[in-house]
Amino acid sequence: MSGLGVDRPIKRRAGSAVGGLPVADSRPVLAGDAVLGSRCTACRYPSAQRELPWCPVCYAPAAEERFAVTGAVWSSTVVEIPVGTRKPPFGLAYVDLDDGPRVLVHLAEPAVLGPGARLRITGTDDGDLVAAMEVRA
Amino acid sequence: MTEPMLWGVGTSAYGRFPDRRVEALAWEAVAEAVRDAGVSPGEIDAIVVGSVFGPPGVATRVQRGLGIPGVPMWTVENACASGTSAYHEAAEAVRLGRFGCVLVLGVEQMSTLFSGAIVPEATDPEGASSLPLPGLYALQAQRYVAEFGVTPEQLAAVAVKNKRNGLDNPRAQLRSAAPTVAEVLASRMIARPLTFLQCCPTSDGAGAAIVGGDRGNRRDLRIEASAMVSGALWDHRSADVWGFASVARAAEAAFAQAGRTPAEIDLLEVHDAFTIGEIITLEAVGIAPRGEGADLAPSGHTARDGAQPVNPSGGLLSRGHPLGATGMAQLAEIAWQLRGEAGSRQVARRRVGLVETMGGGAAGMDGNACVVTILAPQT
Ligand SMILES: [Zn+2]
Repeated sequence: MSGLGVDRPIKRRAGSAVGGLPVADSRPVLAGDAVLGSRCTACRYPSAQRELPWCPVCYAPAAEERFAVTGAVWSSTVVEIPVGTRKPPFGLAYVDLDDGPRVLVHLAEPAVLGPGARLRITGTDDGDLVAAMEVRA
Repeated sequence: MTEPMLWGVGTSAYGRFPDRRVEALAWEAVAEAVRDAGVSPGEIDAIVVGSVFGPPGVATRVQRGLGIPGVPMWTVENACASGTSAYHEAAEAVRLGRFGCVLVLGVEQMSTLFSGAIVPEATDPEGASSLPLPGLYALQAQRYVAEFGVTPEQLAAVAVKNKRNGLDNPRAQLRSAAPTVAEVLASRMIARPLTFLQCCPTSDGAGAAIVGGDRGNRRDLRIEASAMVSGALWDHRSADVWGFASVARAAEAAFAQAGRTPAEIDLLEVHDAFTIGEIITLEAVGIAPRGEGADLAPSGHTARDGAQPVNPSGGLLSRGHPLGATGMAQLAEIAWQLRGEAGSRQVARRRVGLVETMGGGAAGMDGNACVVTILAPQT
């Protein structure tokens, strides 16, 4: 049997990291001390998505919003396989931002953190939000 | 209204077949289903195809070998639930009297697209952030472990059960010796806490079925219920782990349609892409109370000789996971089991069977879609 792609056509792949073409970036954006997103003008539902047609909960208009960069871990894991340009191990967590949406972040230090652990988004790495354990003064 | 019946099923083998044409995999499954149903291809008056990665126009490319020209035909994409979504559309069409005999096909060839795990979808926020599917299930598992104190051994027991079942499935992709709990836990870590032997392989394969009305054939299976739901928001308000709610919605609708309870189900084929998936699914379907699903495999409840066998085929963990074909493979196994044709895999009680397929991966939703169907032999 020939190797994958040898002497055969090659199918399309998703994303530039694996040889495809670039796509629009849909990740949450960090702007200074805030994560950018949308909030419903009626029910106040927060979303990390932008350009929403309406609030996905009550259908009222949604407006641009800035969310806190702090929040509580919903769940976290450490991925031990390479994914795209990411080399293992790398830590991921879902974080419920204070008064904001649930977003996926990369952990500055790969570790499994229990639900409720406090995180602060400290910056970005190649477009991904990066968070670290919150240090209180 | 016509009560829809399952007339016949067929599948290809499952594995990595990069040198086979995608049509050839489909034709193998279709030919078996047509023979099984005892119909002529010319009797088929509609075709519904489930596929995720194509190729584009895969239905037409399959159709050119079948000689079933000019009939209505459409393709459904609902992630891992694509095959059973196609089946659901066929059953609904028959129920409403739109068609009398529908060919359903699920087909996928993944070995020519991915060398390992599925490459995360770059247009999705989580995909762009390099969250692979095992990572999404690992996040589900970590939350679940923290909430309910599930042990690594309980997770591993699902893999042990399904891989042991798979030894008796000649069409399964993985048929090496069944691992022990210790071996499952010692295998390479993929995304904590999920080890390599707790993850299904990507696969190539096809599954097909013929759905029609009641034609007085005693071998046909009654489709007591078929329910399909799309995802809902999975956000900071969701107390359930990702995926739970969509399965629960589909199961609730299916049980209401069939007029049955979870306790009446004799056997199930459910979406065990990862060990935690089977546990959470069985709770969402109602086979175990919330937080107690992890004991179903270790206690033997879901073993092939248990009270409610789950994935007697070996599930996705043995068979492999050719996305669009998976639901049809599950359906075929339940059909063989309910008719008593499952050979060395045969379960004892076979009055009512359930298939659940959960497709997911889109960020912020509790699933792309979920299909639950309940079938029974005629009494
Ligand atoms: Zn609103």
